[in-house]
Amino acid sequence: MEKGHAVYSTQTKILRGLIWVFMLFMAVLMIFPVIYIVFGSFKGNSELLVGGTNIFPKKWVFSNYSNAWQQANFARYTVNSIFLALGVMFVSLINSTMAGYVFSRRKFKGKEILYGVFVMFMFINVGSVSLRPLFELSVKLHMNKSLISVILISAGGGQATYLFLSRGFVNALPMELDEAAKIDGCTFFQIYRLVILPLLKPVMATIALLSFRQGWNEYILPLVFTMTNENLRPLTVGVNMLKNAGDGAAAWDIMFAGASIAIIPMLVIYCIFSRNFMSGMTAGAVKG
Amino acid sequence: MQKTNKEKTKFSRDDLVAGLMLTPAIVFLIVCSIYPFIWIFRYICYDYNGFTATFTGTRNITRMLSDKTFWNSVGHTFEYAAYKLIFIIPLSLLMAVLLNMRMKLANLFRGMYFMPTIISTSISGMIFAFIFATQNGIANSILQGMGIIDSPIKWLMSRDWVMVTVTIMAIWGGLGNYMLYFTTGMNGLSEDVYESAKIDGANGVQTFFRITLPMLAPVLKVVLMLAITSAFKDYEAIMVLSKGGPGNRSMVMFLYIYNLIFGSTDSTSQAQIGYGALLSIVAAVIVGAVTIIYNIVAKKLDDVV
Repeated sequence: MEKGHAVYSTQTKILRGLIWVFMLFMAVLMIFPVIYIVFGSFKGNSELLVGGTNIFPKKWVFSNYSNAWQQANFARYTVNSIFLALGVMFVSLINSTMAGYVFSRRKFKGKEILYGVFVMFMFINVGSVSLRPLFELSVKLHMNKSLISVILISAGGGQATYLFLSRGFVNALPMELDEAAKIDGCTFFQIYRLVILPLLKPVMATIALLSFRQGWNEYILPLVFTMTNENLRPLTVGVNMLKNAGDGAAAWDIMFAGASIAIIPMLVIYCIFSRNFMSGMTAGAVKG
Repeated sequence: MQKTNKEKTKFSRDDLVAGLMLTPAIVFLIVCSIYPFIWIFRYICYDYNGFTATFTGTRNITRMLSDKTFWNSVGHTFEYAAYKLIFIIPLSLLMAVLLNMRMKLANLFRGMYFMPTIISTSISGMIFAFIFATQNGIANSILQGMGIIDSPIKWLMSRDWVMVTVTIMAIWGGLGNYMLYFTTGMNGLSEDVYESAKIDGANGVQTFFRITLPMLAPVLKVVLMLAITSAFKDYEAIMVLSKGGPGNRSMVMFLYIYNLIFGSTDSTSQAQIGYGALLSIVAAVIVGAVTIIYNIVAKKLDDVV
């Protein structure tokens, strides 16, 4: 009996080993495209145009980045991307915590209906067509000369998820906190500012990460809004414009460097906060 | 008397503050969601190029009915969604189950599987366009180096292969997301059942099919619904990867609509906003119908099982 058990356990060991190798293989497969593009960004253009199976450059070229930065206007694009991402993040944070607090703590007529409308428009999706009226509106309001309108539309379009997250979080806080603060003479806004907001830090971290990523990765929206204004383009749009404009395979080196500039900051943030990203994603999906 | 009066005024002031705090969210809802939705209906009977709008009656509708490119793009959308779901759901479930075995480096692996989801779909479309380039793409180089293929595959340039490439990219980009949903679902399952299964001598495969899968059914239902609706809405990555080509073979409906509304990136053709508005309503109805049908089927299955 004991021997049999031992045999079974070596079998299991081998099986587990095979499974582990499979998981490693999948992991390599998943990060391969990113590894390829990041190391490829240090290859010379001629090496990229010839192709080949090597991932690491035969000869390390660092001028791709300086070329992209100076000639291809990537310095401007990077500033725009940072501005866009931070803008979406701040607007989302302020908006969703305030609205989540009111939705959780306040009783008013039509609250459930209003909440239902938020949910409904999360599911109604008419695609890019909704950007057309918003674009025309921003032209009318003379807001198409800066990225502010892009920030507001991005934050507004994605607000439902963040609102649900912060509302759920406020719901979980005990009402006694509010009541105690009220007895101490706090107004409704002071309770939010002094009591609730400090306690919302975990969910605010999640919202900050998700909305920063949303702003940084936004593509169609800034593409449409910066069609005629090159200096407002974020990285996602700038690097893809290069691809469309380049005749054939002209500037692969600059495009590789540009794509790397567009993904590396996000990768660094992900490496630090991967746990928060994952918990935020599932929380958003479950609550939404 | 005075006291209640004072309370009353304080109450109404708090009301005002609450209203002000809710204002941004409501303004966003009206401007970013409701206004565009109503705007669309304004132009469905017009020919509108962004500057002048002329009433054309039912011409947009008759055009839609005979628009082969549009109905083909609807077909491609279903095709794409089917390919994506067939691969991504079982694969993400498998990876979640394997990660749950808590082997060495499992947390690192999970982080690596999830990593593609933080990259902009526009950039990943571009990366895959490089990888699957016919002449100098690394995919062909590796396959040729291993002797699997003799001549380079035209991943993005042939009608036979482009959907394969698009599907590979979709799986890569979405796997981590669905894996994570399943992992979260499995964390909610009680350990006791697994303990007793172990005592009864069930092996890993038996445990999966007899315990994990049935207990995961509610999660699976939600994940499937999320996967279906998001697969129908995907077009950003395809727009960058293949631009819907070659010969509209990878044109999905929302990409076709985008090209109508804003003009294609390739040509300088004029925007046809009225027609695009009509098509986007039809597309939204199609997505809605699919969601409803899925929910009915899922409910029926629930009753049977």
